[in-house]
Amino acid sequence: MATARMVVDKVADPASLESHAMIRIQDVVVEYGQRGKPPKRILNGVNIDIQPGEFISIVGQTGCGKSTLLRLVLAEEMPCQGQVLVEGSARKQPDRRCGYVPQKYSLFPDRTVLENITFGLEVTEVGIFGSLSPARRVRRQEFQLEAIGYLRRMGLRESDAAKYPHQLSGGMQQRVAIAQALIMRPKILLMDEAFSALDPGTRAGMQRLIKDLWRETGTTILFVTHNPREAVVLATRVIALGRTSGEDDGANVVLDLPLPDTTDELEIAAHVRSIEETTFPSGSAEDDEQPGAPEA
Amino acid sequence: MSILQIHAQPSRTTVWILSWFLFAIGVVSYFWVSRGRHIENPDDRVMPTLRQMSQAFADATLKPAEDDEVAANADRESLVTKVRQSMLWKDTLATGRRFLISMALLFPAVLLGLHMGMFPYVGSFFLRFVLFFDKIVALSLLPILFIAFGIDELAKVMLIVVGVAPTIILDAFNLTRGVPKEQIVKGFTLGAGDFSITYRIVLKQIWPRVLNSIRLNLKAVMLFLFAGEMIASQDGLAYRIALLRRHMGMDTIIPYVLWVALLLFLIDFGMRTMNRKLHPWFQEA
Repeated sequence: MATARMVVDKVADPASLESHAMIRIQDVVVEYGQRGKPPKRILNGVNIDIQPGEFISIVGQTGCGKSTLLRLVLAEEMPCQGQVLVEGSARKQPDRRCGYVPQKYSLFPDRTVLENITFGLEVTEVGIFGSLSPARRVRRQEFQLEAIGYLRRMGLRESDAAKYPHQLSGGMQQRVAIAQALIMRPKILLMDEAFSALDPGTRAGMQRLIKDLWRETGTTILFVTHNPREAVVLATRVIALGRTSGEDDGANVVLDLPLPDTTDELEIAAHVRSIEETTFPSGSAEDDEQPGAPEA
Repeated sequence: MSILQIHAQPSRTTVWILSWFLFAIGVVSYFWVSRGRHIENPDDRVMPTLRQMSQAFADATLKPAEDDEVAANADRESLVTKVRQSMLWKDTLATGRRFLISMALLFPAVLLGLHMGMFPYVGSFFLRFVLFFDKIVALSLLPILFIAFGIDELAKVMLIVVGVAPTIILDAFNLTRGVPKEQIVKGFTLGAGDFSITYRIVLKQIWPRVLNSIRLNLKAVMLFLFAGEMIASQDGLAYRIALLRRHMGMDTIIPYVLWVALLLFLIDFGMRTMNRKLHPWFQEA
């Protein structure tokens, strides 16, 4: 079964045992230059160390640099000052170490569900003309079998495999997107408001799923959300970003809260309250069910 | 009266009748006026009657082209041979050849636009120049093209390429840029390289839209093609139309115009159907 293999692979992987910090964010400053204006500071000297196997939630108000932080870890964006190290090395562009599940456009619209999931396996192994040779075709069938295993694990039916993304509901799309990322066995899974566009019921189901997957695989997860409750329910550690001083000084870590694994509603509510107090001091906590626009 | 309201709901029959109404008016009034002119002057050449036109069209499709000498014993040939020796067939073939060559030359334009959109260096190298070229009125270049490339095939094909390629390049460029950043990042995280991302993710995604934009530019292609043929050519549909204008050969010109419209409609329809069949995932916005 796919699930059993995921666990075995993780334990057999020596890299995750050796290095102590999976992600190291050191004195990172990010500024966006606008023509004719002084540059706008987004992140102001952020320091975060993330250990292997942690489930981190990043919360904060819209526009406080949550997504910027995620893009730094992805290496889609470079810091102006400081450095972002993943397994001890800085990178120039996104690579296989990080799986990525964005809020929107998370699947390739021109591929079926199955092709979406096997894409990573095929693109790393099979060249553009590879599908012509018989040996590759066998390999391809192996990929498909593995993909179907993941599909089942995500709670989708086999009959969904031939569908195109536009035929799936938002929740199902995100399930496929998670399968697509996990089949590559990334060290880190980055989720950018991945459940924010889903309705509450679907969202709760997805939260359970991702938590179970995290327990099985031991993947380090970075989960960006604007919803404090979601952050507390999921994570082993919540990092809140916020502006410490003036409006133009950029955001920094205002709260770094390790969480015990709990299902006690009272305890969750207490943590949510403490997050809201630090990140939304004006008392203008964002609406829970608001889809949440992607931020700058 | 409710027929002018936004919420009016015409029945299927009404829609059918209404949509053909202008055709009916056009056809009826043409033959009405044509009849009147022929009563007044039996030799009228401006508005030929249906019989004259069908005779001329039959001549064009079934009789060997005038400039041919093969046709001494034409009457005994089979229908296929007759058609293949005919004026219309030869003209269509000549025009079709130029059309296909220029369509083939538009393919590199798509690739150029794709690369301009994907690779910043390629983009900064070409974009300004293509934007400039796009603003040049291609027909104003016609004399230059004839001088530079001579008045044979190359000049005509170049006219089409110069006229349509910048639009296609910019379209492909914009479509490429319109692919969400998430898709490209996703590709990298799944282990794809620049090559795979460009061709297997982005090109594949924009392809139906590119085909659409080529389809919408068919008219421009035909426009430049006809301009070239009318000015300097020895064969082709537009050459024939221009030639017959000198003899006031309206009885052939009108069927030719309709024939060209029919061909263009069929190509357009074929491309649209193919696009839908080949890309079932494509959602036209």
